[in-house]
Amino acid sequence: MNNIIEVKNLSKSFGNKMALKNVSFKVQKGETFGFLGPSGSGKTTTIKMLTSQLIQTTGEIKVFDQLLKKQKDPLFMKRIGILTDNSGLYERLTVYENLLLYSQLYDVNQKQINGVLEVVNLQNDSKTQVKKLSKGMKQRITLARAMLHKPDLLFLDEPTSSLDPVNTKHIHDGLRQLNKQGTTIFLTTHDMMEAEHLCDRVAFLHQGEIKQLDTPQNLRIQYMDSSVTLLLKDNQSIVVDKDEKGAETIYQYMKSGEVISIHSNEPTLGEIFVQITGRELA
Amino acid sequence: MTFSLKRVYAIFTKDYKDLLKNSYVLFGIALPILYAMMVNRIGDQDPYFNFLPINLALVVTGAFIQAAIVAEEKEKNTLRGLLLSPASTLEILIGKSVLSAVVTTLVILICIKLSGFVIVSLSLFALMIFLNLITYLAVGTMLGLLSRTVMETSIIGMPFMIVFGMMSNFKPLFNNEILLKGIDYLPSEQFTFAWIKIGEGGQFGDIIGELIVLTIWAVAAVVITIITYGKRRFDK
Repeated sequence: MNNIIEVKNLSKSFGNKMALKNVSFKVQKGETFGFLGPSGSGKTTTIKMLTSQLIQTTGEIKVFDQLLKKQKDPLFMKRIGILTDNSGLYERLTVYENLLLYSQLYDVNQKQINGVLEVVNLQNDSKTQVKKLSKGMKQRITLARAMLHKPDLLFLDEPTSSLDPVNTKHIHDGLRQLNKQGTTIFLTTHDMMEAEHLCDRVAFLHQGEIKQLDTPQNLRIQYMDSSVTLLLKDNQSIVVDKDEKGAETIYQYMKSGEVISIHSNEPTLGEIFVQITGRELA
Repeated sequence: MTFSLKRVYAIFTKDYKDLLKNSYVLFGIALPILYAMMVNRIGDQDPYFNFLPINLALVVTGAFIQAAIVAEEKEKNTLRGLLLSPASTLEILIGKSVLSAVVTTLVILICIKLSGFVIVSLSLFALMIFLNLITYLAVGTMLGLLSRTVMETSIIGMPFMIVFGMMSNFKPLFNNEILLKGIDYLPSEQFTFAWIKIGEGGQFGDIIGELIVLTIWAVAAVVITIITYGKRRFDK
């Protein structure tokens, strides 16, 4: 089984409004797959359908090589993890008590609690009441909760939205570690930097449709312009085309020892998104 | 579908730890007990009056605590976590009802002790309390699911509180036969009617009608709650 998720011609409408239009994609085992799009593009609707919280209007969803059941399947739920930007915690209970509940629901050895707390760097706060922690720390607990049962597939819906860079780094480090251990990650985000850092492949979602799907590297190459930028010692930047004339120009500057750096002009994922859809990601 | 007692126990344990730090719920426990102390001081022998602390325990402790516990899960987005865990609908609903059932039973026992309520037949009393507990916990769960916040349970639950908790007190105010007949079919009224019959020497066969009505209430409340759960579980 190479594909963990297979989605064919998936559509979802709410009344007259089409939230998702004929979307198809596959997520391979062990990869981190990014669903990028601005608010309202259909990212959360997709995650809800992939996790049985919503039923599709048309189309087919296969997860772990099986059609998704309409009824809740405990065995399926044991294999997945979900982390959203508003995952709730029991505020009057301690960090440990929150994780203890989930270790019992997932039938996981309690000894693993301290392990996941170490991953998210909260091992010294296990006895603290959740309500006394910052938003970033709470989000790290929800990540620890999602990691506790070592899911085969982890869904992340805007996991770091409104977090500061330090907490975002903790979350990203934890996700990379989980991915290294074999967990496939399905990530929705409007944060292009997050997608660049984490994703093996990304799909650009706009107004309920996938506009582009590839690796970040391939997308950058595809949308890269045919020039390079030279930074010279006098702080002057010179843009030259990647042709014979450009090569001659670069040679001359290199020969004179004036060049500090040479960069190819690769666009960011955000810039590519704007090129494709005509609007910003945020 | 498998049923895991371990998961039910996990939810129960979590709710128990949470309850000890929840002042809103602790107030709901104290209210019927205070009322039972008042009944004891007044010393009235009227069965309607004597049953009031027990009915209050069912309505306030049973239904309202259950409603608050469920509504808080929705308000804080923690119900979603339970729903997306391997715990089944039945495990979640039972897990979240066991604590309210245990606490309500304890409050009823304290009310009996404090108010001087005389139990003529323990088995019939326990059976009727059991049926009422199912009804009130199911209604409490439904109120919690219909509310977006804990505070909203007070507003949404107020009509329920008046109808189920106080309607017998308002009977003298009405002279509409249909309305009075309708009030007679409320669980609290059925309990009192049955209890009067038992006090007069009645047996199981004499209160079968009341038991059937109480059973219909319990089944209807559970069915409506499950339907509500299916529709409202993922709402904020």
